[in-house]
Amino acid sequence: MSSLLLISDIPEDHAFATQVAKSVGCVLIHAKSPEEGAKMLRDQSPKFIFIDGSSAKTYQKFEEAIHETVGLFSELIQPNMIHFISSETMDSIPHLTQSPLFGHLIFRKFDKLDECAPVYARVLAATAKERAFGLENFLRPGTKIQTIQLKSSDQKQGAVGALTNYLNQAKFQPRMATQISNAVDELLMNAIFDAPIDDTGKTLYSNTPRSTIFKLEGKSAVEMQVGFDGEYVGITVVDHYGSLDKARLLNHVSKNYSDETYKLKLHQAGAGIGLATIYQNGGSFFFSSCVRERTEVTVFFRRTKSFVEFKNQFRFFSTQFYF
Amino acid sequence: MLNATKEQAGSATLIRLSGAIEESANFDKLLGPPPAELIVSCKDVPRINSVGVKAWIRYFQQAQAKGGKLTFIECSTAIVEQINLISNFTCGGVVESIYVPFSCESCQKELIGLFKTSDLKSLNFILPELKCSKCGGKAVFDDIPEEYLGFLMK
Ligand SMILES: [Zn+2]
Repeated sequence: MSSLLLISDIPEDHAFATQVAKSVGCVLIHAKSPEEGAKMLRDQSPKFIFIDGSSAKTYQKFEEAIHETVGLFSELIQPNMIHFISSETMDSIPHLTQSPLFGHLIFRKFDKLDECAPVYARVLAATAKERAFGLENFLRPGTKIQTIQLKSSDQKQGAVGALTNYLNQAKFQPRMATQISNAVDELLMNAIFDAPIDDTGKTLYSNTPRSTIFKLEGKSAVEMQVGFDGEYVGITVVDHYGSLDKARLLNHVSKNYSDETYKLKLHQAGAGIGLATIYQNGGSFFFSSCVRERTEVTVFFRRTKSFVEFKNQFRFFSTQFYF
Repeated sequence: MLNATKEQAGSATLIRLSGAIEESANFDKLLGPPPAELIVSCKDVPRINSVGVKAWIRYFQQAQAKGGKLTFIECSTAIVEQINLISNFTCGGVVESIYVPFSCESCQKELIGLFKTSDLKSLNFILPELKCSKCGGKAVFDDIPEEYLGFLMK
């Protein structure tokens, strides 16, 4: 039976990991210190690792312990299997967002364990597959998924409008629907303008004005999938370039845009600010990319009774790369 | 799709924006060169995306560069979020009034109430309850004060 290794001395993390392990059908092994965790990793080769990443100092100890036991580039430890747990905003955890081991980030908001554990169990199960592609992996089994193919760049606003209507019908408050639509707008823009690259890896349209109209055919085809399982809405945007750059992505989302010293520069790529806001406002992400083949970016939002609850919901920021 | 109407309000030009601000928004074409005194109503702007934010800043920075007087009124929740998020979003302009989101405790309907920013400050950011227009129930402020009203607290 496969195992989930938890490295944390925080009771909340233990409760969460216990539930998730149970839902996903694996054994929980628990280390209370980074050193103990590194040894368990070496001896028991767990399938998943959850680690408290709140403190830079403790995290540093973990990396050192890993370095001493199995080595940072060992097969036993890969970003795709590592799940950091933190209560901080993304701009205040550079030790995690800049770590070579960054794979997944779980926001420590476990007060509704019965709600968040099954959701995260689905994430975990998806990561255990050969490829974590397909929105159906992340929503309750049997959820109806609708697919929209964008044939040209100017169909983006239409797709976003259709999504807003869908969300209204699913009884998301107007403000929530706006937030979600904006999130998807950013993802579509990324897929249309930032994902396409040439054979040398150079972006083709990243400096093209976003109002430019061109066909989205063949490799440039962009697809949007939408599903609502009664609790969560999930929207996946698919491109066929597999050009997502993890370091760049993490750098974008970990900036603090509201800082007084930060002024939006007009030549700057817009997407980073969009994604950072989405995560701050309750959205979860799952980025799945098979290099040079395909990228799927999924956002999730729980429908809540109030916007405050919406903003404070459990969330995660996951990246899964296949080389 | 962004639209605008223009009217004269004393010595100022009042522009009422309506519609989503995204890549098709062309402020220069829609509004012409910014006048010396400009009041912008954003009541009917339900959404602004990152490309729209850039177009917005590019246009209103021209107004700022000319040394004119810039006032934003009736800012929608989408606009208030950007004001909080991006420190140069208002381009030196004054935010006179904003819509504040409320949620009904009984039926969960989302409501908005218009407040002058000066009143919000004198209320010390403690918002009164509203009566729900749908069920008559109690509607309370539905956001995090430090986040939604953060730009006024600085
Ligand atoms: Zn009501």
